[in-house]
Amino acid sequence: MTKKRNGKSSLPGLSSRAGLSRRDVLGGMAAAAAFGTFTIISKRAEAADALRILCWPGYEEKDVIEEFEDTHKVKVEFKIYIGGEQMLQFFGQTQPGTFDAIISDAEYVQKLLARKAVEAFSTADMPELANYHPKFRDFAPMRAGEGKVYGIPTRFSFYGISYNTDYLSADEAADWNSLFLPKLTGKVGVFDWYLPTMGNASLAVTPGNQTPYDISDAQLASVKEWLLKLRPQVSMFGSSSQPIVQAMIAGDVYASPTGDLDVDLKLAGYENFSSTIPKQGGIRWQEVATICTDSTKKDLAKEWVKYMTGPKVQSKLVYTKAFKARGPNMKIVDYWDADQKKLLSYVPDPEHPGQMIVETLIDRSMPRGLPAQQPDTQWIEIFNEFKTT
Amino acid sequence: MSDGTALNGVVEGRARRLRTPNDSPLKWLCLAPVAVWFVLLFGLPLAFLVWIGFWRIEDFQQVPDFSLDNYREIAGNLFVKSRYGLAMLQSFWVAATTALVAVAFAYGIALAIAFAVPAKRQRLALLFAVAPFWSSYVLRLYSWQTILSKNGVVNSVLKAAGIDVVRLDVIYTQIATRIGLVHYLTPILVVILYVTVANIDRTLIEAARELGATRWQAFRRVILPLSKVGLITAGSFAVIIALGDALSGNLLGGGTGRSLIGKYPLFASMLMTDYSSSTNLPRTSALATILILMMILVLVTGAIFAGRAQRRISG
Repeated sequence: MTKKRNGKSSLPGLSSRAGLSRRDVLGGMAAAAAFGTFTIISKRAEAADALRILCWPGYEEKDVIEEFEDTHKVKVEFKIYIGGEQMLQFFGQTQPGTFDAIISDAEYVQKLLARKAVEAFSTADMPELANYHPKFRDFAPMRAGEGKVYGIPTRFSFYGISYNTDYLSADEAADWNSLFLPKLTGKVGVFDWYLPTMGNASLAVTPGNQTPYDISDAQLASVKEWLLKLRPQVSMFGSSSQPIVQAMIAGDVYASPTGDLDVDLKLAGYENFSSTIPKQGGIRWQEVATICTDSTKKDLAKEWVKYMTGPKVQSKLVYTKAFKARGPNMKIVDYWDADQKKLLSYVPDPEHPGQMIVETLIDRSMPRGLPAQQPDTQWIEIFNEFKTT
Repeated sequence: MSDGTALNGVVEGRARRLRTPNDSPLKWLCLAPVAVWFVLLFGLPLAFLVWIGFWRIEDFQQVPDFSLDNYREIAGNLFVKSRYGLAMLQSFWVAATTALVAVAFAYGIALAIAFAVPAKRQRLALLFAVAPFWSSYVLRLYSWQTILSKNGVVNSVLKAAGIDVVRLDVIYTQIATRIGLVHYLTPILVVILYVTVANIDRTLIEAARELGATRWQAFRRVILPLSKVGLITAGSFAVIIALGDALSGNLLGGGTGRSLIGKYPLFASMLMTDYSSSTNLPRTSALATILILMMILVLVTGAIFAGRAQRRISG
């Protein structure tokens, strides 16, 4: 499922350690910053010893956090954000030490590290990692480029093709080039974010590339060409998954390179939708649990990270009211009923005996990352050109 | 000096001091909340926004600076690559045409309330006219999506009526964007225009009628000229709101809705995407500052025209 993102902001981010300190800016702009920090300050006053976590929706739900609170006799307070930029903004607007842990999109770990917001930790005492799918036990975004582990995956899902089975067959959906079929002209909906869309395009032109964001200028030119070719097929750009889901229900969009929108649609009673990751590969998003550098409760924060690696909590976390996703701990299935397993593809894959469909999808997907060889502005300009062509 | 003269002097002095209510020192007390509100909630955030537009990004972080790089980058991408200029044109085109339709529509409603509804019922009628404003804007947009889409209400009714040859195909075009915006703007504009129309001196209309003017002539020669200031104010207001709105363009216009100009996004929509997709708040702030300048341009133009119209009425 594509995570919901929106651009609504209160006030601009205030963080900057390179020039003015956060404290300086906050002091100078106290009135403005107060709106961004008020919630945290009030909660802090309420529970001085609480563990404070900055996270995507879902982690705060009672079913997910209750056991941890009971075990450790501690109150956990959450500040919810929607989108990586909002996460950085919330973090930047608060005093150092406000948060003890952060749930971050995996590729944003390097942005947090640039702000010295998170620190490395040992995973030696996390036995549940042994039950993780191999691709989640150790992958580059957790390490932020210097070998140490900064985050442990807690939740993930895919940006493959979601499609209406009345108009597209499973075989057709297994190939990115099917998006160019005449029957899809003006019937493709695209998620309005350059990273997943261009990552998928990168895989479409360089099938199986394990590092779709680490591509040469020539490969990037091919990505642009592929996108511009796709443009006549596109009828709408959705700022989150919801407008695209609505468009699919309304029959205005037949296919979307936006991931597993079918999960929501099936839950709403629409059986004529499905999703897959094409044979060339697709992008995968993942959230990771990190520990804040300025936390005064690092041991407790690490206990929470450890707690989040468990299959029981993940089975609830990826099936929250907020949205549905997948969990990296493969023992998660022990806590689900047959319907849940089927809905989230944790069922045997008839085409690959011995493994579940979700494992096939994991094998075929690459983690979402940041442009490595070019500045992100170059990628954004290409995406904007794709939109305005 | 006699007592009488002294008393007269005191009275004259007090009269001089209290020539108008504005001479009261209490006015500063009354104006203080407005000034504080303006400075804290408008002036400071705006100044901060403009300031950040000159910062730069270094290692994913904002660094305070006074650099024009963001503006240079945007200027260099006006008609190539990101094509911000085309988005600006699209925004102006959609906002201007939306304002025209919304003002005309709201003016009709305001006239109807002011002249066709009995005085006792006018407040109630106004209440009904602004009622849509109480519901969520996003919900209203999703409702329009349900109405306008391929399998939506309109097309389903047409199909059920056997009129298959006619099909409404406006979803994900800027026509749909305008529909959402007009729905959003109408209640606000009705209030502005009702106040304008209700304040027209009825004796002028009656005089025109008694002098032989037809209803149409009375409207064209009396009501319309006297509504001009309100119409210009409402129009400017509508353009400014439409320029700043991204939701209708995203949900009904599909992000890059088709129009006479082409399939380009609205500038506000590009701004939102820029904010949510890159860790580059300085450039987003620069884009937002440009949007504000566009709005100020509309505001100043509107004020000039409104001023001229007011002078003509007064003269």
